[in-house]
Formats: sequence, structure tokens, C-alpha cells
Amino acid sequence: MPDNAVPVLELRGVGKTFGGARALTDVDFTLAAGEVHAVVGLNGAGKSTLVETMCGALVPDGGTVHIDGRHTALTPRRAHAAGVRIVHQRRSLVPGLTIAENLLLGRLPTRFGVVDWRRAHRTAADALADLGIEIATDRTAAGLAPAERTLVEIAREAHLGGRVLVLDEPTASLGAADAARVHRLVRALRSRGTGVVYISHDLDEILGLADRITVLRDGRRIVTVAAADVDLPALVRAMVGDRLTHEADTRDPRPDPTRTHDAQDSDVGGSGGRARMAGEPVLELRGLSAGRLRGFDLKVHSGEITAVLGPIGDGQSELFPLLSGLRRAGAGQIRVDGRDVPSGDVGAALAAGLRCVTGDRLAHGLVPGLTVDENLDLVRRGLRRPWLVRWRRMRERGRAARDRYGVTAVHANPPVAALSGGNQQKTLLAAWLGTDMTACLLEEPTGGVDVAAKADIHRIVGGLAASGAAVLLASGDVDEVVGLADRVVVVRAGRTVADRPIDQVTRDELVALTAGGRAT
Amino acid sequence: MSITTLRGRVGVTLPAGLTRHLGLLTVLLVIGAVTAVNSPAFLTGTNLLNVSQQVAVTAVLAAGLTLLMTAGGIDFSLGSIAAVTSGVVAQLISSGVDGWTAALAGVAVGAAIGLVNGSVVTFFRVAPFVATLATSTVLGGVALLIIDGQSVSIGDHLEVLGFGEVLGAVPALVVLASLVCLAAGLIMRWTAFGRNAFAIGGNENAARLAGIPVARTKLLLYTLSGLLAGLGGVMLVSRLGAASPGTGGLQLELTVVAAVVIGGTALHGGSGTVVGTVLGVILLGVVANALNLLQVDAHYQDVAVGGVLLVAAITNHLRGRDRGTTR
Repeated sequence: MPDNAVPVLELRGVGKTFGGARALTDVDFTLAAGEVHAVVGLNGAGKSTLVETMCGALVPDGGTVHIDGRHTALTPRRAHAAGVRIVHQRRSLVPGLTIAENLLLGRLPTRFGVVDWRRAHRTAADALADLGIEIATDRTAAGLAPAERTLVEIAREAHLGGRVLVLDEPTASLGAADAARVHRLVRALRSRGTGVVYISHDLDEILGLADRITVLRDGRRIVTVAAADVDLPALVRAMVGDRLTHEADTRDPRPDPTRTHDAQDSDVGGSGGRARMAGEPVLELRGLSAGRLRGFDLKVHSGEITAVLGPIGDGQSELFPLLSGLRRAGAGQIRVDGRDVPSGDVGAALAAGLRCVTGDRLAHGLVPGLTVDENLDLVRRGLRRPWLVRWRRMRERGRAARDRYGVTAVHANPPVAALSGGNQQKTLLAAWLGTDMTACLLEEPTGGVDVAAKADIHRIVGGLAASGAAVLLASGDVDEVVGLADRVVVVRAGRTVADRPIDQVTRDELVALTAGGRAT
Repeated sequence: MSITTLRGRVGVTLPAGLTRHLGLLTVLLVIGAVTAVNSPAFLTGTNLLNVSQQVAVTAVLAAGLTLLMTAGGIDFSLGSIAAVTSGVVAQLISSGVDGWTAALAGVAVGAAIGLVNGSVVTFFRVAPFVATLATSTVLGGVALLIIDGQSVSIGDHLEVLGFGEVLGAVPALVVLASLVCLAAGLIMRWTAFGRNAFAIGGNENAARLAGIPVARTKLLLYTLSGLLAGLGGVMLVSRLGAASPGTGGLQLELTVVAAVVIGGTALHGGSGTVVGTVLGVILLGVVANALNLLQVDAHYQDVAVGGVLLVAAITNHLRGRDRGTTR
């Protein structure tokens, strides 16, 4: 590990607070030229904040950022000029342009003001060949496979003078063979002296690729170790920490989800305790195939919360479009109460008593410009198809639902756009779960909400199951699953890799399972 | 000049329906006052009735478009539909068909064209802007073909509609337009169909997932605006006594769109009121009338209408941003 030279990138004592919540606390980080330095941590550990600080997108509250040993007040432009470049998880190639144009975007070689295509293609081909990538430069970006897009994008940043490349989950949603191509490229970059900051949830991958690993937890740097000196269980332990065992004496204000879940009495349909009794199988998926899901089987019983857990963007994220009827399944059946629900039919899914609550509330769940009460009435209106709107009754129902689900705002009934994330999420749940239903799918129900709202939502979901509904939870968040579910099904690359009652699996095992380790 | 500060200061005590259009109402009153001071003819009963008759057709078309735009749609062919129907009605009457039968046929033709527009937009997923611009061009030509490029008179048929008066004073056209606007306002407020338009315009994905019949509602909305455009065509021909080249068409269309936008209906859907649209229609009518009375060069009319539209569009955008609903 070449740590005797001046690091190309160094962060000293960096801290960042967002509206009272500490995202980063006193984090040190160094990156040497020709090094692959991985950053790992659970969701919300502070990885994204750290990355954005490196690229100048965020200004830290405390601490300093040094590039080549010089202290800089970093802005995105300065970071770019200094050769710190990021490849985001969301791809940014222009689909309709060729590889050559994408690689040389904004700096196509010209002669007398006319693009010199021959030279453009030669330059692009050289740049790719240099990194051992074999892709014809006259293909359009839209025609590339996902792995090839990643490769081209990394190559572009390297070609444009990136000396520090930040790769944010470059292999997420890639298969093993494709991931290996990305790994080869990263190694080629390292041998050329490029410093690589590598973010990934796949710990196996990181152990095989990285030189050093920094573990973040709750915004703090827990440890930085050489990859050779650490193994998978040790990494998982460092990521998860001792939160569960030493809850009482930590400064961490986050409540133990299991505890709030049990202790608070529920307003929604009785007690939300773990003493729920699983009943008949109500929601059945048989051999469901679509997108990343391959022949997926699942039975969800009434009165039980079953979680489908997977890495972000894996099989569990296919469930919402499939069950809600937005998309037709390639193969397989969805059955509710023993009756087939035709695939790709929103009305049929609703009529069967299946309620699918999106994880992206503003895109698929709520109408931001309309009031809370009217949003709460949407599903009812979609189901009953009345001719007229009775405002007074709608408001009465709305008020009751707002009280029951704990939607609070300065004005009683503002447009949904004016609500906080937590209140929007509660409105979403109230709208979809307020009508009679037999089974529901909740996608990341506590995504992007604060700690207090999280506890409320856990209580609401627990109450649902206690009142006899079959609850299916689709999540990429281990904490959420541990806090809510009775049974957990882990999917990776679209296939089931584990199916256990929650009390027979530890949190560490779940982290290891989703992060790519073998079940122990 | 800022509407938001105005609302903040005055708005607390006024009903929401009014505060929303306070800026528009103020502009309307200011223009009215300035004109009245400079031209004694403005505030006479004859002149005001004249203005109301001139804006009646625009109001009928704009009422339909308000509903449609609230649901996130747009129809640029409304003016051409009016031109086509006025031609159809005139030709039917001149070939001996009874006046009211011809009028009904005209309205039906309008509805049918609207249904075609709706199908193209809903089933083939063509952007409504492009689809209706295309039909608008087609219909502009068809309108000329129907009347063979000449004026076709309807004699004294439909005189009751074009020149009749209710209670001895109010023109029948104005009564009809008021009824249409009232109905549109009630639909938007009190029917599930109207509220679904808001939901679809506000977030089509969410509306579809909630089980709201999105395709059917959109089809119905396009058909309804087509039907009202057809009615507008009948009103035009009844008032002018003939269908002539240049009646309706693009000029009418642009006035209608301008009125709806000035009235505060969001171009991207999700919000809109008929009250605002009516105010927008009246504002455009008053501006045109004022420029006439003040003997301003007629070429300034387009400049004025365009200017008002631009100011209104900017105001709407700023207001949308204030409420954080521009996304």
C-alpha cells in the first residue's frame, strides 16, 4: 500500500449536519495514487455524504479537503478541474449519441469548425483500447449493455483527466461476468496510477478488489484497514456495530425498532406486538418471472408480515410494478384468496383486495397539488366509481384517517406537496390501506422519513398484520426488515437465497446475505 | 405588483375562490377604469352587451379547454373544429335541413372530432400538442373544402340563438355561454369525473394505480371539448348569419388558449378553475374593446393580447413555484 507518498485526496476531520441530523462526524479519509480504497456501510451510514463532500457537491460544516496536499475550498468545478471525478450509479451517457461522441462530449476535435470524425473515432478508440475495453466507437450508447455503459462511463472520466475516480456502486444490478469486466477496468486504472474510491454493497467484491477499506457507521469512520487484514464476518461486525447489544448506553438517539414496535400501543387495529398468529396463505406468487425476478415463489399468510429483502434494485423492486398491475409478468401467477389475479391490470388487482403502496410516493402514490383529504379519497373513488363528490363526507373521513395515521400539519388539510416526507408517507399509507383489503405490498415504507415518523409507520404496519391482513414488505434495508417482519425472504440476482422466520436469523447474517456473503 | 404579497396582506379574509384570482380581477378593474375615464362609450349598456356577445363563443370553447388542460391535456384544434362545424351547419341549412337539426348535427360533428383527437392521444400515446396541431391543420383545410372557399349564408335560420334575447335584454348567446361555464364549474368541483381530471393532471401514475379510469376519463374530456367547440361553431354561424373562410380557426384557438392560461390553469395540468378562465376571457374581450374605443392602431391588439398572455404565464409559473408544485 503506497501510503508514504502525498495522498492525492485527503479529508481531515470532515463533519456535516443536515437540519439537526448528523450525517458525518469527524471523518478522516486518504487516497493514494494507484490505490483502490473502498467505502462500506449500511444505508444511511454516510457514504453518499462523504462522496459528495469529495466532489465538492457538499460543503462540509467542519474539517478540510486536500487535493495533492493543498487545502481547497472545494466546489464541483474545482474538484472537476483538479481531476476528481465521480461516476454515479445513475448512468449519464447520452443515449442517442455514439460512443465516440459520448467519450468526447463537449470536446469533439474539429478542423475549420467542422467535426473531424475520423480523428474523433481514432481518439475514442485509443482511449478505450488503452484501458482494455473492446467496444466499437460508432455504436450508440442506447444499444450498449448495462455493463458496457458502465465501462464507457468510467473510461470517459479517466480519459478526461480523472486522477481520482469515485465509483458509486458501479456493479450494482450487474451479473457476475459483467462485474468482472468492471473489476478488470478498475485494476487497469489502478496500475496506471489512478486513485479509485469504490462504493459497493457487495462485500465479496470489495474484499477481492480493494487495497484498503474504510467502514462508516452512523456517520463516523469506524475503521480503515488493509483488505488483506480483514475478512467478511469482521467487516459485517464493523458495519453493524454493537447497536443491538448496547442500546442503552450509546449516544445514538435512534430507537431500537423492535422495541418501539412492541411497546407502543397501536391505534390501528389493536396491538402491534410480535405475538401475531400467522393464518391461511392469502397472497401467493407462483413462478413469477419479470425483469430480474426468475421463477419467484412466495406465500404470504394473513396476520403475518413477510419481507422480501435484497440488495437495492434487485428482485424485490420488481414486486411493486408486478403486483400493482403496472406491468405484465413474463410468466407465473399471482393469487389472492385462492383466485387468480390477471397480470397487468390495475383494476383487477385492486378489486381482488390487493393494495400496493409504492416506495416512490411522489412519482406513483400521491397527487402533490391536491389536498391531503382528497388524496386519501383517491383509492376509494377508484374502487367505487361514484358519480359525485361529497366534500363534507370526504373531509370527515379525511380527518378521521389523519388522526388515526398521525398525519400532522400546520393547517389541517394542506396540499400534499406542503407536507414533510414523514407525513406524506403516512398519507400514502392511509390512502392505500384505508379501504377494505386482504393483502398489501409495502415498498420501502420508511424510505426517506425521520426517526419519529419511522416509529409511527412501524406501529401502523404492525397494526395491519395484527388485524389479519397479509403484509408483504419489499425492502433493501436490513434495519427496516428486522424491525418489522415476522419472516424474511432474501433475494439476490432475482433468486431466493434464504427464507427464514425472523427470530431464527441475526441481523449480521442478513447483512452478509444481502451483501453477497454465504449464509452461515 | 406581486400577487403573492397582495394575497398575503388581503387574502386572509376573502374566500379562497376569489383570492386566487385577485390579481386578475385587479388588472381587469384597472383596465376597465382607465378605459372608462378616457372613453365615455365604454361603460354604456350597449357596449358592455356587445363585449359580452363577442366573448361568448370564446368562453364556451375555453370552458372545455379548462377541464382538458386541468387533466394535463391540450387541444389546439378547437378553433378549427368550430370552423368545420359552422361550415357543416351552413351547408346543411342551405341544402334544406331544419336549422335546429343542423345545429345538433354540428355539435355531434364536434364531439366526434374530439373523440378522434382523444383516441389518438390516449391509445397511440401521441403527444397531445402534436396530435391536435396536426388535426387542427387538417380541419382548417376541411373547413374551407366544406364551404368551397365561399361564404355560405344560413338566411334567418337560428336567428333565435344568434340575435334572440332573454328577458328582453340579455343576448341568448351570453345566456348559453354562462350556462356552459356554470356547468363546467360544477363538473370540476362536484363530480368524480371532474376531480379525476385534477388527479390525472396532477399525477397520472398515481391516478392509474388508485384505479381511476384514466383512459376513459381522457377520452371523455377530449370528446367534451370537441363537443363544446362544435357548439361554439354553431354559435358563430348563428351570429354571423353565414359560414365564411377565416371564421374560427387559429385566431380563435389562440385566444381560447390564452384565456385559459391567463385564468391560471396550469399548462402541465393539476390545477385550474372555470372562474379564472371566465375572467381571462373577459379580460381579453375588454382589452380588445378598449383598444378599439381608444382608437389605438388595430395592429397593437395582437401585441396587447400576447403581452397579457406572457405576463400571465410568468405569474402562474412564479405562483406554482411558491407552492412548490412545479415539479
